[in-house]
Parts: sequence; structure tokens; C-alpha cells
Amino acid sequence: MAKMDLLQGTLDVLVLKALSWGPLHGYAVARWIAQRTEEVLRIEEGALYPALHRMEERGWIEAEWGVSENNRRAKFYRLTDLGRRELHSETTSWQRYAEAVGKVLQTA
Amino acid sequence: MASWRRSFRLHLRGGTVEQDVEEEISFHLDQRTRELMAEGMSPSAAREEALRVFGDAGRVRRECQEIGRRRERGRRRLEAFSELRQDATFALRQLRKAPGFTLVAVLTLALGIGATAAIFSILYAVVLRPLPFPHPERLVHLWAVDQGEDARSISPGNFLELRRSARSFEHLSASPGLDASFNLTGDGEPERIVGSRVSAGHFATFGVRPALGRTFSAPEDEPGRNQVAVLSHQLWRGRFGANPEVVGRSILLNGLPHAVIGVMPAAFDLQAKGTELWVPLALGADEEANYGHSYLRVLGRLKPGVSPAEAGAELVAIAKRLEEISPESNKSKGLRVEPYVDRLLGGWRKRLLVLLGAVGCVLLIACVNVANLLLARGAARSREMAVRAALGAGQGRIVRQLLTESLVLGLAGALAGVGVAFLGLRFLVAIGPPGVPRLDQAAIDGTVLACTMALGLAASVLFGLVPALRTARPDLQSMIKEGGRSLGTGAPRDRVRSALLAAEVALALVLLAGAGLLIQSAVRLDQVETGFDSRGVLTAQLALPGADYPEVPRALATVERVIAELEGLPGVESAAATSILPLSGWNTSSTTEIEGHPRERGEELDGSTRTVSRGYFRTMGIPLLRGRDFTAADREGAPRVVIVNETLARTGWPGEDPIGKRLSYYTDDEDEPVWHEVVAVAGDIRQTGLNVEVRPELYIALAQSGSNRWGGDQSVSVALAVKTAGDPAGQTSAVRQAVRSVDPRLPIFAVATMEEIRRESVATTRFNMLLLTALGLIGLVLAAVGIYGVIAYFVSQRTQEIGLRMALGATQGRVLAMVVLQALRPVLVGLVVGVAGAAVATRLLSSLLFGVTATDPPTFAGVVLVLFSAALLASYLPAQRAARVDPTRALAP
Repeated sequence: MAKMDLLQGTLDVLVLKALSWGPLHGYAVARWIAQRTEEVLRIEEGALYPALHRMEERGWIEAEWGVSENNRRAKFYRLTDLGRRELHSETTSWQRYAEAVGKVLQTA
Repeated sequence: MASWRRSFRLHLRGGTVEQDVEEEISFHLDQRTRELMAEGMSPSAAREEALRVFGDAGRVRRECQEIGRRRERGRRRLEAFSELRQDATFALRQLRKAPGFTLVAVLTLALGIGATAAIFSILYAVVLRPLPFPHPERLVHLWAVDQGEDARSISPGNFLELRRSARSFEHLSASPGLDASFNLTGDGEPERIVGSRVSAGHFATFGVRPALGRTFSAPEDEPGRNQVAVLSHQLWRGRFGANPEVVGRSILLNGLPHAVIGVMPAAFDLQAKGTELWVPLALGADEEANYGHSYLRVLGRLKPGVSPAEAGAELVAIAKRLEEISPESNKSKGLRVEPYVDRLLGGWRKRLLVLLGAVGCVLLIACVNVANLLLARGAARSREMAVRAALGAGQGRIVRQLLTESLVLGLAGALAGVGVAFLGLRFLVAIGPPGVPRLDQAAIDGTVLACTMALGLAASVLFGLVPALRTARPDLQSMIKEGGRSLGTGAPRDRVRSALLAAEVALALVLLAGAGLLIQSAVRLDQVETGFDSRGVLTAQLALPGADYPEVPRALATVERVIAELEGLPGVESAAATSILPLSGWNTSSTTEIEGHPRERGEELDGSTRTVSRGYFRTMGIPLLRGRDFTAADREGAPRVVIVNETLARTGWPGEDPIGKRLSYYTDDEDEPVWHEVVAVAGDIRQTGLNVEVRPELYIALAQSGSNRWGGDQSVSVALAVKTAGDPAGQTSAVRQAVRSVDPRLPIFAVATMEEIRRESVATTRFNMLLLTALGLIGLVLAAVGIYGVIAYFVSQRTQEIGLRMALGATQGRVLAMVVLQALRPVLVGLVVGVAGAAVATRLLSSLLFGVTATDPPTFAGVVLVLFSAALLASYLPAQRAARVDPTRALAP
């Protein structure tokens, strides 16, 4: 299967999903997404950071400086309650969207 | 709340926005590189691959930094806001702790700000707000001028020539002014309405479209097709109940049917009692060559880009051509333009600006007072400040806190001031003199509210800054040395206080001087001998429309029947009619020739002309110094007679007895002089206004006035005057009934006693005087309160010193003198500065004065005396308290 470009806004949901398991720094988020999507989705890793910062600004996630596995200063992100609600509603609407498109494609 | 506390902490622990972004990105790249190396890549290849996968690092950095900076700004704003809120909460608590101080300060400010806002709202409605037409600055009056003399009307012939040839104007229109009035009959009571006959271009000149229907077309501006009318919004609402179906209906004007073709918008009503209706001017063919009779007011709309001066230059050339066309009428006459708005506002722009200046003085005095209060309070709080400074509060922080207190005071003052302004405006509009354009539209609206709040803010900085700076810099050492009880306050602080005191006195003096001069003017105006006896005289206007009374003699006969009817009423001593009532502001005049005393061209005698019925002099109480009143024998066909006033007798026949001599006055259609024999000399009366010098005047007998006095189709319109034995106003309905018994179609209107007319003629002067006096008194009280406050403070600060002096043998009298003298030094400085300032400021008033000069010495002396006495009293009270200080208690530790 060829690699697919990421739909606008989809990255946000993936990031929220990644953080729903616990606080992660940016690099770990990138890795988590790559593993989970089995590298089907092509993500420019850099694009992750503006997305993280924007979500932080919106209050979906919050950040704190901490220490990484290999003892370096790293910025850790954590889901807020607001972010959790956002993830939930995005997931629901994504599923309904996929279902609808899927139905159309099957009947065609 | 929780989230900003968190971001606040993060901010403290992290570096700058730029550093944080940098660190985050490099961490990512390092991690990736390390991972790739673990998979067996060489360090340089791994680094390269990491960068490639990352994408455009520069763009990511920029984007992230942008977001970071935006968040930073938002956070700072929040912080500043919460600090302000803290300060404001603290300030409110502090002010609540000192309710006396707060109340006095807020009331003082409310008075100053509210008065200023009220005057400003009027200035805004009358002067500043643009007129409701497009490009009002392009609207001009065109006047004829005689060798630089005052503006005169323009003849129809000249107007038509102007309209043909002037290139500077988009539109030109003409109207005989407001003096056309109509009897509106038909549905409902007969009503007298103020209308205007205007040429077809009138509305286009203003650039205003009707709210309903249309305005006149050019063909309707011709005789025979001109029975159409456009209604004003107020007439439409008042008489026709705002019914849109009135357009197309027919109404009876002066007995003739007119089709209503349009209604103008509400904004076109510039005055509360302005033009109510317009009909076409419809100049007849015979008017086209009328160059001699000038009765048109001409309005023009300048073409875009043409300045009034350029138009004026073109008019000079046109005036030359007009002189060639009609040399005898247009000899050495010029034309000039005057911006419409200048004429409309008349002297009101200046009067209102003077008032605004005066009210600004009141506001300044209020600010000075509050500044003094704050200084005193600051001194009392110096220990609090010292403690706060010692605890590490920076000076800037303390100043900000103190300014926030001022701000809270200023805004509270502005809020209370809105209430004051609201009441003040209602009062001002109620007592406002007639004829102030758009006064009725003055309101406390958004603009005024915004200005009031801005005023509150500006005032709080004005009165708060100096005290805040002083209070925030307490002298720590002396505080500690004296254990908080300072003996003698710092000299510099006293200087500030003294300067403020002097400023306050100076401002109050300027205000009072202006008020004093206007009071003098009003008193002198009141003392002017009118020359007639207005007591018990009731007046009313009566008009006989040409449609019902096509022949002037019949109309005049009807007026005489009305007079006879009125004289028969019980309680009426006599009744009469006149073309123009005294003090009504109107005037008509004619070139007058004295038989046997020919005058050079340009030196002609200009006589004011009045047409009066016999009995007029008795009714108005005007003495006939010599000769006889008009009699029933002075009719049409009998020898023509005239009565002259003293001034005309003196200037026309110097050193001679005018009785039996003859004069003639110019009328349109007579080339040969028509001689009138002088049968009496009447006493001079103030005809045009109390402040207008008496002019030569001739009285023409109503019965002999003939059609030329009343103009072709124009209706005969007279004022009735009734001398009653008792209360004149009580006769109103009897008078109405008497007129109706002669002809039920005739309405009387503008019913007023002569006393009311007299009062109205001085209403403007009175209005100015009343307002400036009120402002002067407020200023005086505020200044006295200010002086009292400062001296009381001095005394309280020097209780120890005074006690010491008394313990050492000073008498009570000496202490009293010492305190009062100390208070009076800045007062004297203020008086000197104030007199100098007033001498300059009152010059602005000179056009509003009557009978006094702008620097009238007795007025100035009186004002200085009043202020000095007030200062003396204000300082004596606390001084007396000082003199009663008990030395043992003052010196007790």
C-alpha cells in the first residue's frame, strides 16, 4: 500500500489519541503515530510541533518540562479534560464520516 | 484560574519562547539521529536522514515561535488586567474606608464633569454635529451689499440673472425667507403655519430628498401651476398624524386648494419652530425685470472644489454686469457669499464656546480641589507608604496603585456626573432662549457619554498624578526620626499646595468676572427705557389671506371691524393694529425724503416704517409729544398724513418744528414722491431690540396704507394689541372669540403679552447671564471649600507647633493672624493672576455685553472683594480652631 498524505485536522486527532495513554514528549508522539499507523500515513515530523503548540494554546493539552528516558530536558505534553472531550467528539464524528463514505463506496 | 497559574510557572522554569522552541526541536532531531545510528547508520547520514524526515525545520520554528509569542502576549494582558483588578479592588476598599473624603471628592468631580458634559452636549448638538445635508460646507447664502454695508436681500431680476450666468454653483434657489405664513383650513381647526415660498431648486440646493413623494418640478415653479405643497416632518406628524396617504391629497392654504406632493425627512427640521411647509415661489413674468425691489434670500450650492472665495470673485464680475443691466437699481452694489452654517448658528457658536470655557474652569477648580484632598490624604497615609516601600514595593508600583485610586474616583465622578449632566441638560433646554438651532435635539447620547468618561479619565490623571508622585516618595528618614509625628510638613509639599490654591482662586476669579459682567449687562438691559408701557397689553397676529380678501381695502376694513369688536370687550381699554410689534426683532425701512431738505445720493435718510391703526399710541402707551393721533378722517383719498418719532424729527428737521411739514418714503410703483404731512411727533421707543439704538421712524396710517404696503397677492398681516385693565393673558379667549365673530375663518396666532415679548427679546442675554452666574457660583463655592480644606489641613499639621508657640506666650490673636496670613498669601497671588487672566478672558465676552466694557473696573473690584471675603471666611474658621489649641494637650507625647 502506497503512503497517504494526512488529511487536514486528522493529525490533531492522532496526537490527542497518542496522549490519551499518558504524557509524552513530541518525539514519542511522532513515534507512537508512526508505529500505530504502521507507517501508512506519511507525516512530516516537523508539522507535529505547530500542531502541538496550537492545541496547547486551545487548552486541549498542557505542557511541562521534564526529563527524558536518556536524561535530557524534554517538553512533555498531557491531555487536559478539554482535550479528552475533544478527542471523544472527534473520534465519534470521524467514525460516522468513515462509515458514511464506506457505505457509499460499497454500494457503488 | 488553574491553567494560568500553571503557565505562569512554566514561564518561570522555561527560557524565552525562542529558546524553548529551539530546545524542543533539537531534542527531537537528536533522538531521531540517535535511533537511526542505533540501526547502523553513520552519524552524518543519520543526521541527514533525521533532518529530511523532519521537514522544513525553519518553518516549524517560525510557526511555533509565532504561536508562543501570541500566547505570551495574551498572558501578559491577563496579568496586567488582573493586577488592575487587584488595584481597583484595593482602591475601592481604601475609598470605602474614608467615606467622607470619597463623598466630597466624587461630588466635586460629578459637579465639574456633569456641568461640562451638559454644556458639551448642547455645543455638540448645535454646533459640532454636521448639518443633515450632504456637504453642508458647500451651502452658501448670497447677499447684496451696499459699499460694505450689511447683507441685504436680492431682487428677482438679479436672482434670475445670477441663476443664468453664475458658474460657481451647482444649484441656486431663492425664497422670500420665513415670513410667508399660511392659514391652513379644511379638516380641523383653522391653523396658522409658518411656510416658505421657494424656487424649484430649493431642495436640490440643500441636497435633501423627500421622505415621501417628491418636491417641486420646474414647471410647478410658474404662476398658475403652483398650487402644490411639500410638508415638513413636524407638520406631517402634528397635523396629519404621520399618515403617508396625505401625499396626493388637497389642503386649503389661504383658502386655495394645494396638492400635497411630498413630505421632507425629520432631519430637515433644523429648528423646533422652523418652516412647516413649502410652496413654489413662482415668480411672475413681470418679476423678471424687477431689479429694484430686493426681497429674495438666495441660497447656493457650490460646485465641488469651488471655494466660497472663488465664488465671491465670480460674483464681483456678475455684480458689474448687473450694474450695466440696471444702472439705477444696481448702482455700486456688490454681491457676497456667506457660508450657510455661519448664518444659521449666528452668535451661538461663540456663546457656547464661551460657556464651554467657563464650564472648563469649573472642572479645573474641581480637579484642583480633589488634588488638594488627595495630597492631604497622601500625607496622612505616608506611614502606610513608607511601610509598603520598606516591604519592597517599587515606587512605580505604588504610583500605579495611587493612580488607580484616582481613576476609580474619576470614573465614579463621571458616572455621577452623567446624572448631573442629564438634569443639567433638561434644565438648560427648558430655559434655553428661542431660536437656538437644533437645541431640542441635544441629548446625553453615545458621543456625550464617551466624552464624559474620557473627561473622567483625563481629570483623574490631572488631579491624581502630582499627589501620587508626592505620596509615593515619603521621606523615610524623617518618618523614622519623628516616630510618625511630623513637626512641620516638608516645604516643597506646601509649595505645591499653595500653587494649587492660587490656581483655584485665579480660575474662580475669571469665572466670576465673566458672570459679573453679564449680570451688569442684564441689569442695564432691564433698565433700558422702552419708551412704551407694556403693562396689561396682549398681542396676537392676524392674517387675512389674499384668496378670501382679494382687495386690500376690504381687508383693512375687516381689521378695523376686529379692532372695534375688541374695544367693545369688557375690561379692554383700547385696541389697535400694527404691522410690526416693538421688540419683535423685525424691521422694515424705506428711503425717506424730507421736503425742502434734499440729500445727496448715498446720504439718504433711512426711516423705519410702521403701519399702525389709530389708537395704537394710546394702546402701547407711547406718548405723542406734539400734534394729534390719526383719526377716522385720515382715510384713503384724504390728504396723506404721517407721524414721526423724535429721532426722525430731530434728524429730518434740525431746529424746526416738523408739524405741518411734509415727507415722502420710497415705494415700488411710484416714481414721483408722494408727500405726507407730519401730524404728530411720537416719543422714541426701542423698536427692534432693547440693545439696538433708536432709529428715525415713521408711522403710516393703516387706513391710508393702500395695496403697495402689503404687496400684490400677499395677504394683509397685522399684529393686534389690546390694552386691558387686568391680567392681559386672561383675555386670550375673549380676543379669539371677538375675531371669530367678524370672520370665523380667521385664526389668530402667536398670542403673547407685551411683557412676554419683552422678556423673550432679552432671553439670550438672560440665558448667558444665568448660566455664567451659576457656573461662577459653583466655582466660588468650590474654591472656598478648597481654601477651607487646605487651611484646615495646615492647622491640623501644625497643632504641635501652635501649641508650642502658645506655651511660649503667643496670644490667641497672634495665632489667628499667623494662620490667616499664611492662607492669604497664595490667595493674593491667585487674585493677581486671576485679574490678569480675567482681563484677557473677558475680551471674548465683549460681543455679549451691553452697557459695560469687558474690563469694567467696578465689576472687577467687586469680584475681587467677593473672592477675598470668601477666602477670609474659609481660612478664619480653621484658624479659630487653631487659636483654641490647648498647649498641654498639643505637646503631650
